[in-house]
Amino acid sequence: MKLKVYADRMSQPARAVILFLKLNGINYEEVRVDIAKHQHLTPEYAEINPMKQLPAIVDGRFKLFESHAILIYLACSFPGVADHWYPADVFKRSKIHSVLDWHHSNLRPGPVTIVRNTVLAPALGRPFNPEAAAEGEKFLSASLSKIESIWLKDNGRFLLGGNQPSIADLSLVCDIMQLELLDESDRDRLLDPYKKVQQWIENTRNATNPHFDEVHKILMKAKEKRHNQRLNGANNGWGGPEMKKTLLSKI
Amino acid sequence: MTLKVYADRMSQPSRAVIIFCKMNGIDYEEIKVHISKGQHLTSEFEEINPMKRLPAITDGRFKLFESHAILIYLACAFPGVADHWYPADVSTRSRIHSVLDWHHSNLRRGAAPYVFNTTIAPVLGRPLNPQAAAEAEPILSSSLSKLESFWLKENGRFLLGGNQPSIADLSLVCEIMQLEVLDEKDRARILGPHKKVQQWIENTRNATSPHFDEVHKVLMKAKEKLQNQRLKAAKNEGGSDMKKALPSRM
Repeated sequence: MKLKVYADRMSQPARAVILFLKLNGINYEEVRVDIAKHQHLTPEYAEINPMKQLPAIVDGRFKLFESHAILIYLACSFPGVADHWYPADVFKRSKIHSVLDWHHSNLRPGPVTIVRNTVLAPALGRPFNPEAAAEGEKFLSASLSKIESIWLKDNGRFLLGGNQPSIADLSLVCDIMQLELLDESDRDRLLDPYKKVQQWIENTRNATNPHFDEVHKILMKAKEKRHNQRLNGANNGWGGPEMKKTLLSKI
Repeated sequence: MTLKVYADRMSQPSRAVIIFCKMNGIDYEEIKVHISKGQHLTSEFEEINPMKRLPAITDGRFKLFESHAILIYLACAFPGVADHWYPADVSTRSRIHSVLDWHHSNLRRGAAPYVFNTTIAPVLGRPLNPQAAAEAEPILSSSLSKLESFWLKENGRFLLGGNQPSIADLSLVCEIMQLEVLDEKDRARILGPHKKVQQWIENTRNATSPHFDEVHKVLMKAKEKLQNQRLKAAKNEGGSDMKKALPSRM
């Protein structure tokens, strides 16, 4: 029985898992669970993952959720996965655990908070909340600053001084990619101070292409759709002049 | 000894690491870093952990922070650690990773700010924040429900149906122990409905005795001190009026 991956490519951790599978030639079936259509809230999906979140996997009778746990399981269970993804060396491996754990409470909440209170608010049935978004921005900036000065301090091309990517690079870069949904100028403003971060995103993309771009297609389509809506003068997207003034004045 | 553990026993993840070391007879030096005195914010400690958080370890030249990463490192790097703490079996190990990750975004995300904003903040020179506490409480309650109905559903004595504790039991139980410092009524309200959770806490405590109680002494002293303060405040400020005021701020 083939490995099944329950995913929505709009979900950052789902993309990290799919990317890993493609890069390592692991045979799998992708089962699309559309978050916007609330398919993750059905009783059928609760059988797969009672926490009703994505991604989740089913490997034979074994079910697993939480993307970091999934990435580690895949790295350990499937043959031919190169060591740099999840090194056997206990010291290197511990550092990867450290950045993955840090990520949960530090990087992850930032883009999520910004995006769900602005551009994705209508799709989630939520009101725009510029104050919450501004809090998210502060939080994100603090995390990007730590990536710049701590996790990327060792002058390798990837996190922790690595010259090849690990599962940590996949996880964190997929999270930052969610910022593509924002107005171009806002995304640039947020990322601009962090040159190493920008270079690292590009390094990760290059090291994992063409899969990186392919897995991010849906996200980029959503980005384009929003961009066109703004060009057509739709006022129900974040980035309208009134909303922009409110947001910037709170930074 | 080369292993140094930088800890404050008022910190939930610090306690989990220390209990693990004691349970497994790992030789270590505990270096107390007092959060209430701001010692985690010094430039000296920043050399150990640039994130300025606890716990952190140094093992020779190797430095590590994030308690789950530390627990896994200790389980793998030191001889004689029994398999049940961090099983070699890939599937079992993955489920431990799963509950440890879930913990960050759920139990910890609810419990830590709830306790901080209702009780502990003044000890660290910060104001209580009833609104933040009100936002954290449903996350805490929902997490305890998920522990009751899912992580403890398999009728083992420990998480994931285990009959011996793992590092996940240490981490999550130490988090819930922080609720000891709450007003007794609030603690009973929050924890009361969850019988399996209460039994599991007791199982973990028994399985890690006497170290569990010893490591939690500092917390229990803080609990006693806070209880006395509440009693005094209730008496001094006109008894029934203050009693009415306190719960309404939770």
